[in-house]
Amino acid sequence: MRAWLPWAAAALGLVLLALGPTYVLYDAEQRTLGSVFMFVVLAQGWNLIGGFAGYPSFGNVVFFGLGGYTTAVLMVKTGASFFVTVPAAAAVGLGFAVLMGIPILRLRGHYFAIATLGVAEGMREGVINLPGLTGGNKGTTIPAVGEKATASYPGNTGFYFYFLILAVIAMLVVWGVARSRFGYALRAISQDEDAAAAAGINTTRAKIAAFALAGLLTSVAGAIYAYQQVTIYPDRLFSVDITVLMVVMAVLGGAGTVIGPMIGAVSLQYLSEWLRDNLTDYHTFVFGAIIVAAVLILPMGVVNFALDAWKRRRIALFQAVRAYRL
Amino acid sequence: MSPVLETRGLTRRFGGVAAVSDLSFSLEEGSVLGVIGPNGAGKSTLINLITGHVKPSEGSVLVDGQDVTGERPWTIARSRVARTFQVVKPFRDLSVRENVAIGGMFGPERASSARKAIAQADDALERVDLLEKADASPGDLSVADARRLELAKALSMQPRLLLLDEVMAGLRPGEIQPALDLIASLKEEGVTILVVEHVMKAIMAVSDSLLVMHEGAELARGDPETVMRDERVIEAYLGQRYAERARKDREG
Repeated sequence: MRAWLPWAAAALGLVLLALGPTYVLYDAEQRTLGSVFMFVVLAQGWNLIGGFAGYPSFGNVVFFGLGGYTTAVLMVKTGASFFVTVPAAAAVGLGFAVLMGIPILRLRGHYFAIATLGVAEGMREGVINLPGLTGGNKGTTIPAVGEKATASYPGNTGFYFYFLILAVIAMLVVWGVARSRFGYALRAISQDEDAAAAAGINTTRAKIAAFALAGLLTSVAGAIYAYQQVTIYPDRLFSVDITVLMVVMAVLGGAGTVIGPMIGAVSLQYLSEWLRDNLTDYHTFVFGAIIVAAVLILPMGVVNFALDAWKRRRIALFQAVRAYRL
Repeated sequence: MSPVLETRGLTRRFGGVAAVSDLSFSLEEGSVLGVIGPNGAGKSTLINLITGHVKPSEGSVLVDGQDVTGERPWTIARSRVARTFQVVKPFRDLSVRENVAIGGMFGPERASSARKAIAQADDALERVDLLEKADASPGDLSVADARRLELAKALSMQPRLLLLDEVMAGLRPGEIQPALDLIASLKEEGVTILVVEHVMKAIMAVSDSLLVMHEGAELARGDPETVMRDERVIEAYLGQRYAERARKDREG
């Protein structure tokens, strides 16, 4: 296949997305797309640790929440401008991933999943129990507008671009990882950790690096989200729902691939929006049912399914239908 | 010159059971040590102790005179100690070629990029006669080819010391000879090899000396012919009845 084709498509897509707010997109559409971009970042962050390294984290929201609260607390307490708080949020996300990863990445499979879930829930309780710093359950409000504000509030168009830029960075990071020695190390680890170590891979370091990179991307997304929301609450910023969504998006799109999590994030976020607008009463139920069906039909995700069908010149689904009389 | 591999009082207990108990031996450069023993004798644990996949309870492992006891597996691997696994462990989502390239990326002579390592992987594949299937998925390989891949992965680490854990298990008689030839040619190049094997004909053919393990401990060690005539070995390995019959045969 012509190697430049995907790049040309990506460039064209980016140009359209960059021009969109000026020419075609309404405010609400910009807001929706902004959240789509945010979930691209979260799904790609999860993809590094859960997809490439094969460590199914169910606590990545902890980085999101920490990033958001770092930005909020710094803006509230020190009056720092948003852009100053972003590197701080990134550092907190990365640093916490390393600290948490050193003990927890020794666990495998379900034990790892449960431990990460526990850390995220514990962190939420911790934030609730520090009302002096975080406002506790009542939340905290960033001085986004008014005389205390250090800059004019970016608005829907501003956040659309913040999230777009971060999503592009996340895509490039994952693309770079996928073709690098680091990416091969992670894939080897996900498939057989003992064999990976026997091949000279420092498995501990590679896993922590993947987790740290996930923590960094996710915490920056949290920082932008907090500024966008203005008032943030622990229950929202550390919500298990956010973890579940990023996992489902990455897995359904294709964990361990470069474009899979993007496809998952875009399609599921739009599906969810559409269902909310059109099926007011049952939308969560139908959304859940569709996810269950998708996991049953495409357990390896859209992208891996397509690659497999292409490689074998046959479609695994039809084989499955024939074999199991689905 | 110090031996390529030396173990001193090497012991590993799992719970109350000693999987390997007080093993001391050394291997000179370019020699082949065959390790035999019934299932559960501790052969695989011995390899795991040498490569750092399992930590010893007591004793030490020296590679080229350097104490590597307690080092992590990747550190030991990078000092040119390569191994195969008894249960083959391919990276199943990578192609056969990429599987072998991993060793080139992270082994002692790390390639500067993934692409370079992939380009260099064909040497090891050619040595085990697996080049034709370089683009295949490991899951599609036959038992014999899966064993070959396991060997190629070890060779990609450019080993000085090679630990082979039953690389011939499940092979047909005709498939064993190429494996033996490969071991012989590696030995010729000065690679030191420890072979764990159940195929007696094979192990007798390649080993300079034999170590017989029984319940974790050394039962006999030395020249293969002598060791195989040892009555305790026959009894442990083939059972008491066989030992008695052999004795009667010998006595006329």
